[in-house]
Formats: sequence, C-alpha cells, structure tokens
Amino acid sequence: MSATMAGPAAAGGWRARVQKFGGNLAAMVMPNIGAFIAWGLLTALFIPTGWIPNEGLATMVGPIITMLLPVLIAYTGGRLVHDQRGAVIGAFATMGVIAGSEIPQFLGAMVMGPLAAWVLKEFDKVVLPKIRSGFEMLTNNFSLGIIGIVMAIAGYYAIGPVVTAITEALGNGVDVLVTNSLLPLVSILVEPAKVLFLNNAINHGVFGPIGVVEAEELGKSIMFMIETNPGPGLGILIAFWLAGPRNVRPSVPGAAIIHFLGGIHEIYFPYVLMKPRLILAAIAGGATGVATFMVTGAGLVATPSPGSIFAWLAVMPRGGFVGPLLGILLSTIVSAVVGTLLLKMERTEEATDTDLAEAKAQSAANKGTKPQTAGA
Amino acid sequence: MPTIEGTAVRHVVVACEAGMGSSVLLTNQLASRLKGYGVEVTHSPVNRLTDDTGDVVLCHVGLVDRARQAAPNTVVMGFNMFMGDPAFDTLEAAIRDGASLDV
Repeated sequence: MSATMAGPAAAGGWRARVQKFGGNLAAMVMPNIGAFIAWGLLTALFIPTGWIPNEGLATMVGPIITMLLPVLIAYTGGRLVHDQRGAVIGAFATMGVIAGSEIPQFLGAMVMGPLAAWVLKEFDKVVLPKIRSGFEMLTNNFSLGIIGIVMAIAGYYAIGPVVTAITEALGNGVDVLVTNSLLPLVSILVEPAKVLFLNNAINHGVFGPIGVVEAEELGKSIMFMIETNPGPGLGILIAFWLAGPRNVRPSVPGAAIIHFLGGIHEIYFPYVLMKPRLILAAIAGGATGVATFMVTGAGLVATPSPGSIFAWLAVMPRGGFVGPLLGILLSTIVSAVVGTLLLKMERTEEATDTDLAEAKAQSAANKGTKPQTAGA
Repeated sequence: MPTIEGTAVRHVVVACEAGMGSSVLLTNQLASRLKGYGVEVTHSPVNRLTDDTGDVVLCHVGLVDRARQAAPNTVVMGFNMFMGDPAFDTLEAAIRDGASLDV
C-alpha cells in the first residue's frame, strides 16, 4: 500500500495545492448545481427562442443568473470559511460586486464570499473574547452588519470592476481562440488536467464563469461542453474493454455506465493513470469534440453537471441537438480508436509489462486470499 | 504514522473532491459490504475532513496528500480504482479479522 502512495505523494506538492484551490472553487459551486439546472431548464423552456415561450415566466431568467446564482455561490463560499456568519456576510458583500457590474459575477462571488467571511472570522477571533457577557448578540449583529456594508462598498468600487475586467479578458481570449479555430487545442491542457482530478476546478472555476457570461448574451455557450463532454472518457473505457489488460476488462462496462449515464467522470481517470499514454487518446477525442462543437456552432444553455448524457440532453437549446450529440459521438469514436491502437501497440511492444505484472500479482493475491478466508 | 485496529473501526469516511460524486458512489458500495460488521460509511469533501470525521478515511491516491493534511492523525487509505480496488478488500478483511491498518 505504501508503495502505491509514494508516487503521487512525491509528485504531489504543487498538485495538491492546485487541487485544493480548485477544490475550494468547486465546493462553492457544486452544492448549488441544482439551482443552475433549474435556471438552465427555465431558460430552455421559456425564453423567446425556447420550447414554450412565456414572457412572464422568462422574467425570472435575468435576476436568477445575475443575482441569485452568484449570491448562492458567495453564501456557500462564506459558509466554508466561517459557517453561518460567513455565509451571511459573504452573500451580503457580494451584492456590492453584483451591483457594480453588468455581467453575471460568478468569479466575483467566488472571491468576495470567502473574503468577506475571512475578514469577519478574523474580527471575531480578536474581538469576541473581549466582549462583556450579555453583549455578544449585539456585537455579533452589528459587527456583521458594519463589516458587511464596508465589504459591499469595496466590492462595488474595487472587486466588481477588477473581476469584470478579468472575466472579459478571459472571454476575449476565448473569442480569439474561437475565431482562429484554435479552441480544440485547449483539450491538450484540459484532458490531462481532468485526469489529475482537476476536473471540477477547471469546469466550475474556469469554463463555468466564462460560459454563463456568454450564455446570458447568446443563450448558449460552448464553454460548458469542453470539460463535461463524456465522449473522450467513454472512448477510453471502450478501448480498455477491447484491448486493455485482461484483469481490468470485467470492470469496464460497469464503469462505462457510471461514467456516461451517471456522469461521474472520476471513474475513468484511474484507467488513464494506469496507462498514461492513453492521455493522447483523451486529448484526440476531446479536441475532436471541441472541433465538432465549434464547426456546428453548438452550445449548451447551462453547465451539464454531472457530465452525464442525461444532463447534456437537459441543457441543450431548442433546435441545438445535432451538434452536441455529433460531437460526443465523434469524440467517443476517436478516443476509442486511438486508445485501442495505443493499448495494442503497448502490448506488442512490451510482452511483459512489469508494472502490470506486479499489479496483477497484487490483485490476484488479494482476490486469492479473499475467497479462502471467506470460505474458512 | 497513525494506526488503527480493524476491530476498532466503526466509521469509514470516503472522501472525494466535492464529496458529492465519486465518494457517494463508493459510500453506497462499501456501506452494503460493511453493514454486516456494524460499520458506518459516510462521504465528505476532502477539504472538510478532520480527525473527528471518521476512524478510517478512504480516497483516491491522487487525493491522499490532502486527506493526510486535513486529518493528520487518522488512517488514510488510498485506492486506485473506483471499482474492485484491492484496498477495499484489505479494509474489509481487516475489519473482519481484526488486522491493524497503518497507512
């Protein structure tokens, strides 16, 4: 056991830090995904180009994306730092950021929620022990209220404009990639990062915030499709099923169902980590998918989370089914073909893969002992 | 290096990034395997782990460092595969036979 841990532990210093940062971003967004999905469905149904346009109900769309969702993120982020008090001040202070800008302030909320909560936490740490007994509630309410309004003002004048500039710069960078047909190249970064368990950080920390800005303007965004495309992972699993080491093949169909239908992409990462060169298959599949989405002008109305085919179907815009489905299909095929070739190449190359032999021996030993002891 | 006797394990925590996806999947799998031994299985985001969260933490090897940071005095077991990993057998065997876990 300790041997299997030495690898990641030795290489993991920076990775653990990046993961932790990304994990915090994801931890602010993921508990609120249900609300995102509700917003996505609302948009898909009731906006003028939706399935059943309804002017009245469509008025909810704007306030939810510009206010409710960022406030929920800030609330959750604040709670992570300083429990309920942190949640309340984070949500309040973020209203300053929201009012001070035109775009949905997801990034602003991810900054302000935890920041305001941290300021209050530090204040509480210093001041609370000095409060005369009986004045705790008074102090707590007014400290939160006063620090909250100060942070909201700071958010309005400082954080809102800065985050708006950053979000717009990111959006412009993406536009440059799209207009020059370079967007598929992001798969070179995205697919390896996913497999290192940075999937949530990338999706909810980077693509999500850019995507919502675009989706608010255009009704859909390709940004939601890059990390969440279940095609490359499904292709990898198919490759393992066809040409993977014999001892792992039986686990593949179950993993494929959990991955593609359940949307838990983590399930295929270990297969890639087991045969790292398969990352090339994931990149090829991912780039194929992005290229297809780009050429067909595809987009989704909200983040499909988890990245299941069902979540995808739910957030496809009316009349926009062909591009996304074609992209998933092609990325699956490309990644399966490349993956199968890579696995076959490796098997002929190294008849006796030591790592694999070890792994096999280990799992065989474990499997061997289990029925014995169970039988005894 | 934290150690725990298999017989002393009453509560296993499965940790993942967000504590909502892969850990829930594993929690359900393990809960049914360990129910017979009276062991509770829950899930948690790796960032929210503490030494009080559970007796043993299970997480993917890629998250083991962070789990150790979060819960330095708790046994953290890493696994590679989400299905059929030997670590799950090791854990079940230790709980059943009372072997000590020291990872």
